[in-house]
Amino acid sequence: MSHRQNESEPVIRVRHLSLKFGGLQALNDVSVDVQAGEILAIIGPNGAGKTCFLNCINGFYHPYEGEILYDGRDLTRLKPHKIAALGIARTFQNIELFSGLTALDNLMSARHIHMRHGALLGCLFFGPTRREEIAHRERVEEVIDLLEMESIRKKKVGSLPYGQRKKVDLARALCMDPALLLLDEPMAGMNVEEKEDMARFILDVYELKKIPIALIEHDMDIVMDICHRIIVLDFGRKLAEGRAQDIKDDERVIKAYLGEA
Amino acid sequence: MTLDTLPKILRENFRKYGDRVVAMREKDRGIWKEFTWADYFLQVKHFCMGLVRLGLERGQNVSILGENKPEWFWAELAVQSAGGAAVGIFTDCLPEEVKYYAVHSDSVFAVVHDQEQVDKFLEIKQEVPKIKKVIYWDPKGLWSYTDPMLLSFDQVVELGKTYDEEHPDLFDHMVDQGNGNDIAVFCYTSGTTGLPKGGMLSQRWLVESVREWASLDGWFGMGYEYLSFIPPAWITEQGIGIGGAILAPMIANFPEEPETVQENIREIGPDILFFGARLWENLNRMVQAKMIDSTYLRKLIYRLALPVGLRMADMMRSEKRPGLHWRTLYFVAYQAVFRQLRDRIGLSRAKTVYSAGAAVSPDIIRYFKALGIDIRLFYGSTEQGVMSMPRKGDIRSDTSGPPVPWVEVKLSEEGEILIRNKYPYSGYYKDPEATEKKMRDGWFCTGDFGHLNEDGHLIVIDRMDDLKELAGGKKFSPQYTEVRLRFSPYIKDALVIGGPDKDYVTTLINIDLDNVGRFAEAHHIAYTTFTDLSQKPEVIDLIKKEIEKVNATLPDWTRVKRFVNMHKEFDADEEELTRTRKLRRTFVEERYNNLITALYADEPEYTVEATVTYRDGRKGTMHTAIQVTETKG
Repeated sequence: MSHRQNESEPVIRVRHLSLKFGGLQALNDVSVDVQAGEILAIIGPNGAGKTCFLNCINGFYHPYEGEILYDGRDLTRLKPHKIAALGIARTFQNIELFSGLTALDNLMSARHIHMRHGALLGCLFFGPTRREEIAHRERVEEVIDLLEMESIRKKKVGSLPYGQRKKVDLARALCMDPALLLLDEPMAGMNVEEKEDMARFILDVYELKKIPIALIEHDMDIVMDICHRIIVLDFGRKLAEGRAQDIKDDERVIKAYLGEA
Repeated sequence: MTLDTLPKILRENFRKYGDRVVAMREKDRGIWKEFTWADYFLQVKHFCMGLVRLGLERGQNVSILGENKPEWFWAELAVQSAGGAAVGIFTDCLPEEVKYYAVHSDSVFAVVHDQEQVDKFLEIKQEVPKIKKVIYWDPKGLWSYTDPMLLSFDQVVELGKTYDEEHPDLFDHMVDQGNGNDIAVFCYTSGTTGLPKGGMLSQRWLVESVREWASLDGWFGMGYEYLSFIPPAWITEQGIGIGGAILAPMIANFPEEPETVQENIREIGPDILFFGARLWENLNRMVQAKMIDSTYLRKLIYRLALPVGLRMADMMRSEKRPGLHWRTLYFVAYQAVFRQLRDRIGLSRAKTVYSAGAAVSPDIIRYFKALGIDIRLFYGSTEQGVMSMPRKGDIRSDTSGPPVPWVEVKLSEEGEILIRNKYPYSGYYKDPEATEKKMRDGWFCTGDFGHLNEDGHLIVIDRMDDLKELAGGKKFSPQYTEVRLRFSPYIKDALVIGGPDKDYVTTLINIDLDNVGRFAEAHHIAYTTFTDLSQKPEVIDLIKKEIEKVNATLPDWTRVKRFVNMHKEFDADEEELTRTRKLRRTFVEERYNNLITALYADEPEYTVEATVTYRDGRKGTMHTAIQVTETKG
């Protein structure tokens, strides 16, 4: 697979990011670039600040120091929905879906940011709104086809098994037509076969959409297989950064995971 | 011109129906897409011209590997239009097997479904030198594949369009050249004994025998909706789905994915379909499970209606016509429950319903009959197609119906089914020796053991190779009898015994504790243990009746003459069963050697001594008297 297509210009530039909860330093001076056309893994022990890092990017948390530059704009003070509208989509570790809606409706809701007509016109479902709905449904169906979700299209999300819900979560992020995809433990709690499927889907998405993907994952085998670059966080600090093989052999990383010998 | 090939009939359908009549429907992206006869014909024409442009010649073969999709059908008809034959490969084949089929059939192209199948061909690329191009119809995941061997279906169609403009008469010319003797399709045998053999079927088979079949079962010219679901590499789908849909004509409906069939079938409401034995069982189980979760009132209505349906099903089997009061009750039950139930499982319009391959339990058949669905369990083979078929009004669960009009059946001295077919296959590809071996004095040896009953219905019992012999050389099939004994709710397991040193067949029975226990409760029979229950005279009598029921369907020398109810269940922990609950025949026969001797001696009772290992490791001995019972018939 080709390594980093556009070396020069990172898609997102995170500089000296620090985040505090009271006395707890969740992130401490973290600087990371996400390059165009790469799959970047963020790894680290529990409580290292991985999810906090993603939460800062998509605006759930506002860091007290540092900046996040995306397309020349600083994201640190923006509201999450504004950031989503800028094309940054994410999935969640604990799956945040509308469990009473069908998989299809969950995906349609992701198209919301692209809908031009308001609720009033939408009620009529006539002329342009009708055409718009059809166009959006077509985009959603493309994602359903891509992730092989035909059999769960009309099932309520709450009734789906865990692995399938993870898939709906990813699909919803894709339905936003994002320019950057953030995945928070997309394979947590899955069996080997489901993990392989998910890994294949992530690669398919990457190949088809050519968008950068940043993901948090614990399964090192999968990280090594599908990611181009790895960032290691530990106690809110960036411990290491580099190609998969280098990280695997890095003494500090081994120590952070396994403790002192 | 005579319409003796499928491409000619397809062209005729195109001229007759054009874009006014729907030929196929495929669910894609959540909507049903329709293809008219014009779409069907033009796709075939252009794909065919594309293949010819790439070098396909008359008499060459093309492998097709994929799920049921319109492209499968288009590809096959395109190949046949050019005078070639389609070679169906099953989608779950490993690369190694795919290689065997592709190489053995001398295929020059491979038309495949998606990335999964493309990967198989790329893996064996070096070993299939004759394959010029691998053509895929679903581009998902193949965006970055650059192998020059690959082409997409649409690219070939585009090639064909241009080529057709340059040679406007070529396609019609090629179709006109075809005749009934052309080999149309290869169906490979399953290869349980040795390598799979390529059974060749001619256009005459696809056209004439299928037309007769359609007329026999009443789906000719009915414009039925068909659910295309069984693998097209299989002769049955070739007959109904590909041949039948063009001939009858019918609308072939393609589900979105194999996993969505249950959902899609309801949207289609097919008139005709084929389900394997397993699927009927699943469907039945699904309904039972849903009923358990249903509301109290619904359960009550269902429990009231079902016995009426079952009673009606039984009465239709016997000769006498059900009385008015039963017909009225059934009408009410049907309107209240069965109609909705049929709709829920997608069978509201099902009229012609098939199954074959494996035995379906009579209970399942009876259940669907209660819903008004007659499952026809027919008998067919890869070489000869349909050989016997249950007829409307005389559909039984224990026979494969009478031989079809174009097939003559006779039995060899050993009991092998021999047939003579008006529309036989054209032999095995590149294997005249194996073809020759299958023939005896102009009769085709099916390799199946069976017999014709008094009413001329064919009963197929087992593969000849799996048979056992009795003293005097008569053959019988232990598995066949065991399967049918197990269909009884009261029999959990059965071991059927016989051999060259034995005069008749006997069996060891494991009663089903739950169901027999329920029977005992209902009849106020007190019992203590499994052993005790199994030896109760009423229980022995119950089992005896069940065995006699099965006996009635067997040729007399294979009937079970004596049996015992085992004092204990066969147990995987004692190595009597495998972990998948299959009987270990030799082991069990050895273990109960004395008991089996007693079965053939003239004693009515036998005392077994069994060593039991207790939880704490101590061993004890138990003495149990077991009744040996003779059956009638």
